[in-house]
Amino acid sequence: MKVTYNWLKDFVEIKLSPGALADKLTMAGLEVTALAEADADFVFEIEVTSNRPDWLSVIGIAREVAAITGKKLNLPKPPGHPVIRSSGHPSFVIKIQDKKDCSLYTAKIIRDIKVGPSPDWLRRRLELVGCRSINNIVDITNYIMFAWGEPLHAFDLDTLHQNTIIVRRAKSNEKITTIDGELRILSPDILVIADKERPVAIAGVMGGKDTEVSESTKNVLLEAAIFNPVIVRRVRQKLGLQSESAYRFERGIDLGIIERASWQAAELIQEIGDGRCILAKSAGQAQVKKKTINFNTKLVPKILAAEIKPTKIKDILNNLGFKVNASAKNNLKVRIPSHRPDVNLEMDLIEEIARIYGYERIPNTLPALTPQISRGEKRELVSLIKNILVGLGLNEAITYSLVDKDLMRKFDIALTNAIEILNPLSSEQEILRPTLIPSLTQRIAYNLNQKQVYINIFEIANIFTQSDSQPEEELALGLALGGTRTSLSDEGLLKQEVGFLHLKGIVEVLLERLGISNYNFKNQAKTQELALYIGQEKIGAMLSLARETLENLDIKNKEVFITQISLDKLFSHVDLKKRFVPLPVYPAITRDISLTLKEDILIDNLLETIQLSGRPLLREVKIIDYYKGQQIPAGCRGLTISCVYRSDERTLTQEEINPVHSLITQALVDKFNAKIR
Amino acid sequence: MSNLDLEAINKTIDSEIEQINSPEKLEEFRLKYLARKGILAQLTSSIPSLPAEQRATFGQQVNILKTRITALIAEKQKTFIAQPGRKVTSQVDISMPGIAQDLGHLHPLTQVMDEICAIFTKMGFCIVEGPEIETEYNNFTGLNIPLEHPSRDVFDTFYLKDKNRLLLRSHTSPVQIRAMKARKPPLAVVVPGRVYRPDAVDASHSFMFHQIEGFMVDTNIRFSDLKGVLEVFAKAVFGRDIRMRFRPHFFPFTEPSAEVDISCIICKGKGCSVCGRKGWLEILGSGMIHPNVFEHVGYDPKKYTGFAFGLGVERIAMLKYGIDDIRLFFEDDLRFLKQF
Repeated sequence: MKVTYNWLKDFVEIKLSPGALADKLTMAGLEVTALAEADADFVFEIEVTSNRPDWLSVIGIAREVAAITGKKLNLPKPPGHPVIRSSGHPSFVIKIQDKKDCSLYTAKIIRDIKVGPSPDWLRRRLELVGCRSINNIVDITNYIMFAWGEPLHAFDLDTLHQNTIIVRRAKSNEKITTIDGELRILSPDILVIADKERPVAIAGVMGGKDTEVSESTKNVLLEAAIFNPVIVRRVRQKLGLQSESAYRFERGIDLGIIERASWQAAELIQEIGDGRCILAKSAGQAQVKKKTINFNTKLVPKILAAEIKPTKIKDILNNLGFKVNASAKNNLKVRIPSHRPDVNLEMDLIEEIARIYGYERIPNTLPALTPQISRGEKRELVSLIKNILVGLGLNEAITYSLVDKDLMRKFDIALTNAIEILNPLSSEQEILRPTLIPSLTQRIAYNLNQKQVYINIFEIANIFTQSDSQPEEELALGLALGGTRTSLSDEGLLKQEVGFLHLKGIVEVLLERLGISNYNFKNQAKTQELALYIGQEKIGAMLSLARETLENLDIKNKEVFITQISLDKLFSHVDLKKRFVPLPVYPAITRDISLTLKEDILIDNLLETIQLSGRPLLREVKIIDYYKGQQIPAGCRGLTISCVYRSDERTLTQEEINPVHSLITQALVDKFNAKIR
Repeated sequence: MSNLDLEAINKTIDSEIEQINSPEKLEEFRLKYLARKGILAQLTSSIPSLPAEQRATFGQQVNILKTRITALIAEKQKTFIAQPGRKVTSQVDISMPGIAQDLGHLHPLTQVMDEICAIFTKMGFCIVEGPEIETEYNNFTGLNIPLEHPSRDVFDTFYLKDKNRLLLRSHTSPVQIRAMKARKPPLAVVVPGRVYRPDAVDASHSFMFHQIEGFMVDTNIRFSDLKGVLEVFAKAVFGRDIRMRFRPHFFPFTEPSAEVDISCIICKGKGCSVCGRKGWLEILGSGMIHPNVFEHVGYDPKKYTGFAFGLGVERIAMLKYGIDDIRLFFEDDLRFLKQF
């Protein structure tokens, strides 16, 4: 909302400079976002919050200036009602179809006007506040709207048929060309002003082209009315049509000043455009609710912690236009004026007092806080997991929860249970993602494009699915690796293509660190993924993305390994309790076994057999070397396994170990056809 | 063994030790002479077989020999410490980059959220989270935002294709409703989380971003307490030199309401492009919880008061780190992530 310094001075004495005034307004809640000098005046651009429709007028802001500076608001004297000579004019009829849509419609007929350009002062003021000058009559209606906050409209009286105004809902497919030249198709949820034959204006929003005031207009019908804010809002939603007038109706206009503003306009029209006002009619009634709040002044120190004297409280409220009467000790009866629909509770008065007194003058205190020992375990676990992964060298990504269906299709993800968005801005916001995998892969593709060689990222976020027609959110962890790892050591540059085992290694370290040891991986041939189970519960899966999928994202000649784990499921298995295990007292004996065996034999089975054969003296078994190559026959691989033996009761001797070790090697030969080297 | 042998030994050890060029050979040398059954031990055990008048002198000479051998070994040892174990011939070039595994990086938004939450948990607040899919009631009605009013327009939302008018929350404030309904006062809570608004994406807007909500409810919470708590917060995040101002504003769910500005951290209040030449940066919205909100959650507004505040995490991170484009947070370019 724009107002000018001089225009404000019409209504309140201002001694402050424009800059100083701007500061005071900002600190009282009317944020001045721009102040510019123009045309021997200063233009303030003010951000008006949606609860203060009364600030959408110069008088409304002048009232604030008066309250802030302790001056009086000077409203012009209400114009005397002209003598109405109703003889010689046919009677005029106003019909309101539903008073819920329009509670009051007033019309004034002004005859024998001369339409022409507006006087300079009027034109310049309108232009300063961003309104284009049209002609003297239209300009006056706009001028009064900006000054008083009451939207007015002027019709060319002779274009209205049969001296009738009907305020009604439009019929389906009724049409009107509005003053901006656009043809609008109407419907029954839109309110129109109509004569006996057709709609002549969209009520409260915009007038029709063929009833507008032009150079040829001789007689004018001046409308001032109250339209239901919800109805006016509908026009914006359905037709996408907005105007200064609609803006004000939507937020609520001051029911108490309609007639006054209308007479002010009529007087100006007669002054500037000649003419005589010969008829004033109205239908309906402005229901101005009388609001009174019983205000306990003890609330002020209680809520604000500021000792404001009761006389000061009364002054502030009075200056704002509230009528205050003391009713009992510490109790004020406060009458709320019609331009303040936002004030209904004692707390609303507290805000008025605080902002005029000055938020800056209210002290800063600290409340007594009772610390809550609520553990928020889930969040702490998430934090722990993030830190473990960062320690393992991974980088945290945050990607969008909304994705387009096309991306899901590239990954062959079924969309049957996907949750769709009703009003996306683009196809990229079509659905809530049921998996993190495509988003993370996109990030890998992006980074590969930026010539990154090694990408290792993770994200912890919700994934969304529809189950039993109820949307569900589940917290998931996604990990993705791609590219080539390089490290420089004193033996030169080591390059390592990212492989499945790197991903598996990270997952294993993470699970172990969370105290989970009963996990296992199961190959799922159908979906080409490796499922991760904890006990019998599947909590996630790991996969290597297919070449076609990667090429769809412009990833060529690179592999991407990715896993998604349900954290909600994982959390129930986490065990962070630590229990001390006494350190070994007696030394261990380590014996290695080097062997060759067929590659298709799973390491898991091998280790299991060794552990079973070596009990109870065998404490640890580890693969310490692994080779394929010239000395190994085709289809086989060589392994070196380290066996660590220890007893809790005595130092073991080689003699005790030998038979156990032989048992193990024999088992390997018997069961797996291993060749011991 | 005789004196002659002692003399012979004395002569040979010098040339022997000179030829030693590895710790292993040094150890062999040591064992040869100083081990339990080594040469010096043999010499010592031969003392009783000597004539009585020779014993004392012989013993002394053996001791001198022992001391000398020990010293020679120690000296030789020093030359090995100066060279690496494996490659005795090469030296380490200490100007080469060190060998280590790279640490990963937490996302800067996570770091900022953790920092902000920590400030409040240190004051006694607890962290609560809520769902991203919300009801219209929790997102609007319960927060005193009428469904048919222009104040709703600022909170444009994504709706789901769902008959129950479910939506993606447009702010973290719905968790106020959830928390107040699930618990009894006193409450001091911070809520971090993802929120969604159908805004066109550009350098300062994203349709998905993060907010942190905070609120406190008790029997005697005052507006001054809100100011005090937010002052502690702002100074902890932006430094003790910043100035703050509370400006009256409007939110449907608070009354009185305030927007909180800090003196521009770039130009220190003089005015620059970052602060739109105002000298102030808006960082928070806040206010006393509106009595209607209390009514909705079943708290008696005559008995309880409280304050609430909300901030945009991306905005704070951008101010704190000098990031100029919000889209960088979601592009996850490693060159960006690794800066934090």
